[in-house]
Amino acid sequence: MRKALFLLFAALLPGQALAANHVALANDVFVERVTTDAQGKQRILLEEPKVVVPGDRLVFVLNYRNAGAQPADKFVITNPLPAAVSFADAGDTRPLVSIDGGRGWGQLDQLTVALPDGTRRAAQPADVTHIRWAFSKPIPAGGSGKLMFRGVVK
Amino acid sequence: MTSKLNTVGIIGLAAITSLAATPAFAAGTTAGTTITNTATVDYQVGGVAQGQQSASNNFTVDRKINLLVEEVGTVTTNVVPGQTNAVTTFQLTNSSNETLDFALVASQIAGGTAAHGGTDTFDVTNVRIYRDNIATGTVGSWDVGDTLLTGYVDELVVDTAIRLFVVADVPASLANNAVAGVTLRATAREGGTVGAQGAAITQTAGANTAGKDTVFADIAGVTGDAARDGSHSDNDDYTVQTATLTVAKSSRVISDPFNNTTNPKLIPGAVVEYCIAVANSGGVAATSVVINDAVPGQLTFVPGSILLGGTYTGTVPSGTCDFNGTAGGSYTAPNVTGTIATIAAGAAQTLVFRATVN
Repeated sequence: MRKALFLLFAALLPGQALAANHVALANDVFVERVTTDAQGKQRILLEEPKVVVPGDRLVFVLNYRNAGAQPADKFVITNPLPAAVSFADAGDTRPLVSIDGGRGWGQLDQLTVALPDGTRRAAQPADVTHIRWAFSKPIPAGGSGKLMFRGVVK
Repeated sequence: MTSKLNTVGIIGLAAITSLAATPAFAAGTTAGTTITNTATVDYQVGGVAQGQQSASNNFTVDRKINLLVEEVGTVTTNVVPGQTNAVTTFQLTNSSNETLDFALVASQIAGGTAAHGGTDTFDVTNVRIYRDNIATGTVGSWDVGDTLLTGYVDELVVDTAIRLFVVADVPASLANNAVAGVTLRATAREGGTVGAQGAAITQTAGANTAGKDTVFADIAGVTGDAARDGSHSDNDDYTVQTATLTVAKSSRVISDPFNNTTNPKLIPGAVVEYCIAVANSGGVAATSVVINDAVPGQLTFVPGSILLGGTYTGTVPSGTCDFNGTAGGSYTAPNVTGTIATIAAGAAQTLVFRATVN
């Protein structure tokens, strides 16, 4: 009963003050550069985005952490793609994506795009407007993780 | 620790309609654009939705300088000696992500192999550069409505290709197949000021800044034009196509007053037939070829004996005249004159006339 009251109280408050310390999210971007050494081996370097020109590959890294004392449930991270960035892939993190500005969501390979002649084609990475990771299990107190996706500067 | 992701998707899998076409970004995002990426977290604690958390980062898109100069078509421009306003055509494309000026230099190659084979042997004169006017005149070809440039293209916007004409005059007295190579080189300059050529652009050296840096991304052009130097170039050439005429004169005795046409001898009263053969070994037809021959004082021209446009067997002058043709020409003592309208490249024609020995 005490707990229920506490939560009710919390919900009535502006909320931000309480929530501010519960989850930490960090968002970083790197430029992915592939160099080939004298032996022909390719090395992938992640650099700070100082020199960025159209066509460069970007790696966006999202670090999250539940800094609160209780598990965080229904944990959903949403990342609209910047207008000047074309989605490439999200590694093996299997996010939900939207290709219509966040109205509908699905796995990229299940989405289709209507063509002017009435037929539909499979959605391509370049069609993606939003990315979303929806966790099925709560993030325990102190739990953290990392998500990433790649894009290309248009 | 890792968290399991809901790979099925909790919001719904309904097929999603999107009619928005994917825009094409050949040159890309405009330099100086700040790209901000924001991620948000929605979550619940104890079944109660908590305030949304978000995190952002941003960076600035730098300036990529890329341009392309290409010869239009892959053939030489045929010219004749003395021709004015001979045109070679190039295309300049601004593939940078910013509107820029482009300094232009049309130069002549000195010796060596020209763009379409052949060795550069002469220089054209009065070299000018025009920008095609796509509003009036013949679009894609040089005409009087095109704009004479003063060394640069002003404010060429992103992803735009324009046609440039290098126009020059050809000196007189050049041999058939003589070649003059020309190079058009464009160098990116700062844009932003209409009507004036912008300052030179240098690549951002050393440690880069968080602001708008400059990166050269052009490919190598002609010999001496390296990749990533902010400029690009291409070659084209002029090839002289002229008529080269060779003249040969031959004669035969037709008859004499005693032997008539059987083994005639060159005695007074004998009829002599002359043949002036003109061969064109050049690359183009020669027109209005006027043949003039003074009849020697010891001979008397036979009126009405001129035949024009006859044939010649073999190569002038080593072959033989066929002494044929159609009547024409004129005689004004002492000159026989005839005009052949056209002698095609590689062809020969003749003028034939008769005279008697005094």
